[in-house]
Amino acid sequence: MERRILEFAGVLRNNGIRVSTAETLEGLQAAGLLGLTDRGGFKNALRATMVKRTADIESFNRLFDVYFSGLGNLIKELGGPASGGQMTDAEFQEFLDQLAELMQDMDPEMSELARALVMQDAGALEQIMREMMESGSVPAVDSPTQMPGAIRAMMERLGAAGLAEEMDRLRDAAREAGADDDAVARLEEYLEQRMRDLADMLKGAVKIENDQREKPEERKQERDKLLDKSFYYLSPSEIRRMREAVSALARKLKNMMSVRRKRMKRGRLDVKGTLRSSMEFGGVPFRVRYENKRKERPQVIILCDISDSVRNVSRFMLQFVHSLQDLYSRVRSYVFVADIAEVTRLFKDNDIQTGITEAINGNVVNVYAHSDFGRAFRDFHRDHLEAVDSRTTVIILGDARNNYNAPNDWVLRDIQQRAKQVIWLNPENRSTWGFGDSEMSKYAPHCDMVEECRNLRQLYAVVDQIILS
Amino acid sequence: MSSDTAYASAEDVKRLLADQKYICDTNIATVVYLATMLGKPLLVEGPAGVGKTELAKVIASSLDTRLIRMQCYEGLDEAKALYEWEYAKQLLYTQILKDKISEVTAGTKSLAEAVDRLTEQDDVFFSKRFVLPRPLLQAIQSERRVVLLIDEIDKADAEFEAFLLEILSDFQVTIPELGTIEAVNIPIVVLTSNNAREMSDALKRRCLHLYIDFPNIELEHEIVRLKVPEAEEKLTKEVVELVHSIRALDLKKQPSISETLDWARALCVMNVDNLDEDLVKDTLATICKYEGDLRKAEKELAQHLQKKKASVAGESGAAKPAAGDDKDLLH
Repeated sequence: MERRILEFAGVLRNNGIRVSTAETLEGLQAAGLLGLTDRGGFKNALRATMVKRTADIESFNRLFDVYFSGLGNLIKELGGPASGGQMTDAEFQEFLDQLAELMQDMDPEMSELARALVMQDAGALEQIMREMMESGSVPAVDSPTQMPGAIRAMMERLGAAGLAEEMDRLRDAAREAGADDDAVARLEEYLEQRMRDLADMLKGAVKIENDQREKPEERKQERDKLLDKSFYYLSPSEIRRMREAVSALARKLKNMMSVRRKRMKRGRLDVKGTLRSSMEFGGVPFRVRYENKRKERPQVIILCDISDSVRNVSRFMLQFVHSLQDLYSRVRSYVFVADIAEVTRLFKDNDIQTGITEAINGNVVNVYAHSDFGRAFRDFHRDHLEAVDSRTTVIILGDARNNYNAPNDWVLRDIQQRAKQVIWLNPENRSTWGFGDSEMSKYAPHCDMVEECRNLRQLYAVVDQIILS
Repeated sequence: MSSDTAYASAEDVKRLLADQKYICDTNIATVVYLATMLGKPLLVEGPAGVGKTELAKVIASSLDTRLIRMQCYEGLDEAKALYEWEYAKQLLYTQILKDKISEVTAGTKSLAEAVDRLTEQDDVFFSKRFVLPRPLLQAIQSERRVVLLIDEIDKADAEFEAFLLEILSDFQVTIPELGTIEAVNIPIVVLTSNNAREMSDALKRRCLHLYIDFPNIELEHEIVRLKVPEAEEKLTKEVVELVHSIRALDLKKQPSISETLDWARALCVMNVDNLDEDLVKDTLATICKYEGDLRKAEKELAQHLQKKKASVAGESGAAKPAAGDDKDLLH
């Protein structure tokens, strides 16, 4: 059993669940404590020790079922009397008993496999197949057409040729023992059925093995691809999977802020407080008091371009915005195309998807207008500038494609003067900045940081840089 | 690990917790059993109000041991969680023992010599006597095996989490002046988290993980029956069913188990035996705490009542009016 748990840990790892060695050992320990008789308990024990993320519980359940009972269930499913259930259970049992007697007298003895197969010994069968699977001799099957070949190969390895011979011998033995033609015919049919069952079992085994094996590779590749995938071309399912990555990002941002907050918490010497507490120690200023600086709540203002050219990007960006809003109380987000509007409340009142849909569906600002950064900035300056103060980090997300309107980059200069820092994230390739109607070269001088941000990997890098700065 | 503060088996956990009026499923019982046997901290996650904190409390009372609770919040630091030097006491002692100190330093010729003499004695002032143990230190110093509840760990800063690691993996505390203090008894540690933020992997690795979700209808029914025995069977059933259908709605905050209990209690206090009374609508505030949620819940209630009426009408129309008769007999 130990080996199976260790192997199962490997299967979990392959499927993207992090399981440390220590956790595996705990799993072993826990399984030892509970014993293996109670399947539910065993499963719970492994889950509690090896799976620590709520999001992983589902995959764990799936893998557990495939790994620990897939084969067993398969074998049991295929058991039972042959020939469409003409025999009752009692008759079948008697039939099996007779077969057992027959086999006992046979010389030379039948192989373990043949015996297990004929007697429908599920435990022994599972054992044999497991050994085969663990020895790593299950061929990989990429397409259904490879299946028959794979099964043939496995049959051979199990010694199927010898098996058929053994079946013949069994039939002869039955005839010698004086069974009538009818009984022999029934036996023959049964044996053939069992051979077919064996093929099915092998097929199932190959499938199970491939289920455990194929997916992780695929998924890892997908993840890597997702990381490098341009925000411009995201399918709905990719957006879904990206959400987790985004919340991880937001967490990073938050950690950075909390470290800074801790450093900044202690303020000036609090003379009054120190004197007061010195009374306790006979006038000796034993405990020095400091003024507590007002807790520095990270304040972020995000301006999101949601015009058609960056629709997909803004969808993702708003997701990012939203994750931030969940973590802080002071995040204000704005969307703009030509008009600008605050959408902070939308995310407070709704869940993420509704919030995003509401924000970009055109109810808040006209999304069919031509992008006009200059106008949006000017309006922001007029209506919302008081939101920016010396503690605010302003993050602007947009491609800076201004349709040859007035860029109004003086607004950005004003914002930079008021704000702690201004960060511009541009989803376009850096080499295209400043060409055509891109005003990036005008805006960039007024930003503390300008980054290309075309995919998740770059976004990670940007956040890392923000942490370092 | 003393034998008097341990469970015999997972079933034993279930039984003992049930004695404390805490109904749990086999999953919870198994994991609790494992946590106590392996001496591992237990990280409990799940939505608010499913009884995470309660679990720690009933573990303590079912094992008849003390519960040491530490509520986490932003800015919680070592001094409040682990230990603090009792400066005032130290100072007081130095004042009182002034004479003794001059005795010690008597006969010294230079200041350096006096300081040397004093240095020999400074262990006196940095000894266990002057340490004020906070919850964490209390828990590992306790003579009996206690239950240590670290509540809402997600509210604490990430640094505090890192600092917990030493305690949770080795059950020891390092005080620079004193050295390392090891646990007399390994406490049963329960950490709860509402998932305001994801815990670090390092912390998770050291814990067993338990996810408590809202219970299924049967389990919740049982819980309400146990905790609000004064409510009638039929009302209980209806309340639980309705709460479950409300939970399925898209709400800002889903009603928790404790709120189900509150609601059932409120209905009892108001002598309501049936959800179709007008009063019921006014009591919905016990399970829904947002205006928008409340409106959605009211709609759900109306729908529920309509469905019920329809099914009752169907029953009494088609077959014997048994349901109606029963009601009359009961009241």
